[in-house]
Amino acid sequence: MKADAVRGHLDGLLLAVLEQGPLHGYAIITAVQRRSGGALELRTGTIYPALNRLERLGLLSSSWQSAGERRRRCYELTDAGRATLAGERAAWDEFTAAIGSVLNPGARPGLAT
Amino acid sequence: MSPIDRLLQEYVADLGAALHGPAKAKSRLIGEVRDGLADTAAAYADAGLGEEEAARRAVREFGSVGELVPSCQRELTVAQARHTARAVTLAAPFLIGCWYLARSAGHDLAWDVSRAPQLLAVHLAFVATAAALLAAVTLAATGSLARRLPAPNRLPLLVAWAGTTASGAMAAATLALTTAAALATNWPLLAFAGALAAASHAALAPSARACRHCARLPAPPHPVAG
Repeated sequence: MKADAVRGHLDGLLLAVLEQGPLHGYAIITAVQRRSGGALELRTGTIYPALNRLERLGLLSSSWQSAGERRRRCYELTDAGRATLAGERAAWDEFTAAIGSVLNPGARPGLAT
Repeated sequence: MSPIDRLLQEYVADLGAALHGPAKAKSRLIGEVRDGLADTAAAYADAGLGEEEAARRAVREFGSVGELVPSCQRELTVAQARHTARAVTLAAPFLIGCWYLARSAGHDLAWDVSRAPQLLAVHLAFVATAAALLAAVTLAATGSLARRLPAPNRLPLLVAWAGTTASGAMAAATLALTTAAALATNWPLLAFAGALAAASHAALAPSARACRHCARLPAPPHPVAG
């Protein structure tokens, strides 16, 4: 999937990989790549300003933690972040269902007319 | 110096030269990018690539400095706008204090010189109220409120000029209070207020200037809120 298409969903992707617990920047990058099977073309450096922005909006909180011998800033979902993630998921399901019912009318007979 | 260190140092130096914003926010963002880049290069080196190739692969995956700058600068511009808005919020009580003293000084001076401090007092009160309101709106609009209502792209420029205006009002207050102190009987209080106004101007002016600079830099709007 091209970088331009991914960019609009970056917030949801970052919130989703942090759902299981706090992660630092590089661990977030590897989690996104692992979950997508490497299919997403993403300039991984762009996640850092996105993480800063999500923290400013109150969707993430961050703190310094040890990662091996190094100290890294770790990000964690806030309650508002969990609520936003739930909203992103619902919006995505609605979007894919609507597009899918047009592209593959046979697969959703109840919706195709 | 290892090839990884050399490449990362060049990358971070180029990124640092291209970005503008509050020192603390900029240093944090660049530090996180540097750490992430080092972790990525180390992972490639652990996977068996030579150091130079590992570093090059990490930089390619991260994106060039030119590709990272727009999103980083947008965040730093918002950080600078919030920094200036906080400075304006802190300066507003000083402006109101100066308004009160300038108004009081008007009664203490001869009739022919009393008009200037009183006129200044009205302007200071207006500037303080307008700038503080705009600063509060900026802090709210770029904080948690931005989850529901995207902040206007021109807000940083607006707060930059509010800061510049408040800074100019502080300079005018310094001049007026110093002049009034020379003519009034209660000069120590007026001189003290003038010194506070000068200090507030010195604190606010650089932040407002930096905000004007950041707000003029090209940065694309973000597709989502904030």
